[in-house]
Amino acid sequence: MKTRLSRRTLLRGVLGSTAVGLALPSLEAMVGEKVAKAADPYPIFGLFFWGGGLPWHDKHGAEQAGHADLWTPATEGAGYAPSTLLEPLAPYQPSLVTGLTPHTEVPPSPPGQDDGHMRGFMVAMTGDRIRPEGFDHPSHTLTALRPTLDQYVANHPDFYPDGVPKFSSLVLGISPARFHEYGHWNHISYNGPDSTNPPIMDPTQLFNLLFSIPPDVDLLKRRASLLDAVMEDGKDLKKRLGAADKLRLDEHLDHMDEIQRRLELSGAVCEVPAVPGNSTDIVAKTDIMGELLAKALACNLTRCFSFMLTSPATTHVFTAQGANNDFHTTVHNGEWDAARNVTMLQMQAFAALLARFQGTVDPEGATLLDRSLVFGLSEYGEGYKHSVNEMAAVFAGGCNGHIAKGFHARNPGGNYSTAHVTIMRALGIECPQFGWNGGETTEHIAGILK
Amino acid sequence: MRSLKPLLLGLGVSLAGCIGNLGDPGENSPSGGNPTDPEADPVMEPAPAALPRLTEAQYRNILGDVFGGSLPALTVEPDTNPYLFESIGASTTTLSELGTQHYEENADAITHAIFADASRRAVVVGCDVAAEGEACTRAFLGRIGRQLFRRPLAAAELDRWVAKAGELSQPDGWEGLRLALAGMLQAPSFLYRVELGEPNPDAPGELRLNGYEMASRMSFLLWNTGPDAALLDAAEAGELDTAEGLRTHTERLLSSPRAKAAMQAFFAQYLDLGKLETITRNPENYPLYTPNIQAAMRHEVELIVDDLVFGQRGDMRSLFSTHRTFVNADIAAIYGITPDFTNADANGFVAVDLDPNGPRAGILTFSAYLTMNAHETQTSPTTRGKYIRERVLCQAVTPPPPDVDTDITPPPDGEPETMREHLEKHRENAQCAGCHAFIDPPGLLFEHFDSVGAYRTEQPALGHYLGDGSPTYPIDSSGDLDGEPLEDADDLAAVLADDERVGRCIVKQLFRHSLGRIDSDGEGPAIDDLDGHFAADGYDFQKMLLTLITHESFRRVAEPTSDEGEGN
Repeated sequence: MKTRLSRRTLLRGVLGSTAVGLALPSLEAMVGEKVAKAADPYPIFGLFFWGGGLPWHDKHGAEQAGHADLWTPATEGAGYAPSTLLEPLAPYQPSLVTGLTPHTEVPPSPPGQDDGHMRGFMVAMTGDRIRPEGFDHPSHTLTALRPTLDQYVANHPDFYPDGVPKFSSLVLGISPARFHEYGHWNHISYNGPDSTNPPIMDPTQLFNLLFSIPPDVDLLKRRASLLDAVMEDGKDLKKRLGAADKLRLDEHLDHMDEIQRRLELSGAVCEVPAVPGNSTDIVAKTDIMGELLAKALACNLTRCFSFMLTSPATTHVFTAQGANNDFHTTVHNGEWDAARNVTMLQMQAFAALLARFQGTVDPEGATLLDRSLVFGLSEYGEGYKHSVNEMAAVFAGGCNGHIAKGFHARNPGGNYSTAHVTIMRALGIECPQFGWNGGETTEHIAGILK
Repeated sequence: MRSLKPLLLGLGVSLAGCIGNLGDPGENSPSGGNPTDPEADPVMEPAPAALPRLTEAQYRNILGDVFGGSLPALTVEPDTNPYLFESIGASTTTLSELGTQHYEENADAITHAIFADASRRAVVVGCDVAAEGEACTRAFLGRIGRQLFRRPLAAAELDRWVAKAGELSQPDGWEGLRLALAGMLQAPSFLYRVELGEPNPDAPGELRLNGYEMASRMSFLLWNTGPDAALLDAAEAGELDTAEGLRTHTERLLSSPRAKAAMQAFFAQYLDLGKLETITRNPENYPLYTPNIQAAMRHEVELIVDDLVFGQRGDMRSLFSTHRTFVNADIAAIYGITPDFTNADANGFVAVDLDPNGPRAGILTFSAYLTMNAHETQTSPTTRGKYIRERVLCQAVTPPPPDVDTDITPPPDGEPETMREHLEKHRENAQCAGCHAFIDPPGLLFEHFDSVGAYRTEQPALGHYLGDGSPTYPIDSSGDLDGEPLEDADDLAAVLADDERVGRCIVKQLFRHSLGRIDSDGEGPAIDDLDGHFAADGYDFQKMLLTLITHESFRRVAEPTSDEGEGN
């Protein structure tokens, strides 16, 4: 950690002069010790997920040929010229790797596990295949074998070496359109099998969670104390349960422990933003949620998040982009122009989030984006035939100097989990290997990890 | 983290072909309903009980029952519905950290609202803790605990809550009571339906639900809420240990309007009505798709269900063949009928008997199904057919084989084609034909109905709308069900009207919904037996509920499984 601190200090010296200025409240106005520590030395990790992959082209497969590749930059290495679809992200100089694909095995039974929505999603989000047991393609029931990247990171001891902040992670979403009610179709964040973290999609709810803290601290402490009795009740019940229900209740009790800790931490003071509005436009709503998220990160309420713009197989209707049917049907129908327009819109939303990070500057002059690694990903390569070739993997933010800016690595057919190894090592998480069930790799992406 | 693994073993999907039957034991079972002799003695093996968390509706209903009056706005983690049912989601999905926090905040907000109002507080608590001290605390927590936990509290358990109330009595005893109540409102004993059973004194080695657990299970099924005081008292008096007592209380519960709401909850999940909410149509292309039409489409199905279960009490299978429906002006416009609305109900709906020689019969020809199984620019015979296979007949359709090209979309510059021509490609390709010959032909029977359920005699080419100036084509709505050639949807309704598979499917879905889990292999004979009774009772749904609640499969449970490796 000492090394990382010194790198961090150096980075601040370099970037402090060029960072975008922001009207900050004076230090005197920002009350208490918590705020004084806002210039946190540790990195921030986030996932930005969009549904529907990318517009298809011949690298996705012979049948998808006939369309230009608007994603892959023409040149490799540092200083690539942004492609059409990466243009909205250009001000933030993200790095990216192209050509990656899942390397996990696909068990033959039950059938359907190779479906891009399932396999591509799980590999991108967890480094593993879906859990074959309980997978039922007809009812779209599936679950993860292990935590998704956001929860893997948030629960890793290397990520919060000085203790967990008020929230170990925040799980946010924008579009409520969903293909199905169950599991990953509207919740991309998993703790483990059949244990998801539903995203907060209402800006007011997020505002209240983060900033609307009841003033009576003694009362909060009594509420915390009360949870001891609640947990005793749970422990009595647990003795009577079978293994699976015991695990489920155990997780619930763990959550109570966490709520108790949070109630006891109630003294934290943050700069309180204005009560947010809302929007049905995904870019405008990303900006609204992004502002609250940036404020929470700047105040050290958490250092980890996931942000689901649209869900896997999203049924969001993008009429203004020329997609008359829901987006899942639109891409299945082969409507390439609509797929391009919608992907462009989703990149504009990604840019709106990054703009909030860029615009949030700490007292030492570093931006949130300098501290952050925001990993951009989707569920498969493209939505037309659900090919898992050429899946998106974007690395936005400097991650305290551990992620290169503006680097394009190309590795056709490469293991998607090389992106995961890169993430972990950039965050300072011990990672000799990542990936499971055939997807194992020890390699990170050279050129992107610094 | 209950694994779905052991449950899935019961999913008899035949890998050789496309077809399986949802939850039929093994692969050797007949592919249709197995007509059974109601006199036969089934040998059923019970399965371990599920542990469902309260669904959002159940949680809200109980709070309304217990506290009455208005409650503050509450946020609850959304339900999930693997295998169609929220109760199955409730027993397999782990509550998230945020969901846990919602319960904690709700408990605090509810108790504040009640205790801030001295007269309301007096009604809820029933004694004066400031004057009576611990005696009041003990009486209140014992009484409300029995209601919330749906069983009497054990002595040590009550002592624990009383002690906590005492410890937190700052500044006074009321605050201690309030906090203890807030604790109970987030306790697992309240939030989970604990129906684990106890040894049956009459049958050594067997576990069965005790009276309180029966009260709970039947109340959640029939009212979608916890048992009322009368049912808890019946449990305490041992009345629910006899078939007679169960029958008496089932009839009492069924006579309440709350039973109507609970049955709507079941049918909405079984028929997938929630999917309607995900549908949008551009009113420019569909002038009949008015702003309130979605709710009206759903309400039409609700009224038909209500009529079949509680009104005319017909053969439940006639859901898929009835000519009697309920329309408001907007639905009537879609159907092209002009009923007399003089006696319309408060929502503007009136019962109508559709022309028996007309194109519509059963909910598959009504607006909700036709709309939610279609897209903006095209109908979807595949999803319409899949619904019939999976929802109406309880058959499982396997996914496309690996590496198959699932896309059959014509190139944008290709010849215009109709939906039928489009789907022909499914059958030209041997890899697709196996399943699509099973799914598409019943779905094609509905080609006379467009994406909002209006009847049409001609169709545009794919990608076009009627009336956009593009050429139109005549409609061929022929298809088949299991090789039997049919002309149209009306023909299909006639077949489904007395198809035994339809009745058996309803039983199976009700069984799953009521127990919060998929039926196990060992419960196949029980479902056969229930199905036999359903048939013998003329497929009367209320009688089915009585049969189920007094059936041993509703009461018996197995020991919980304790294999450590499960659930990863």
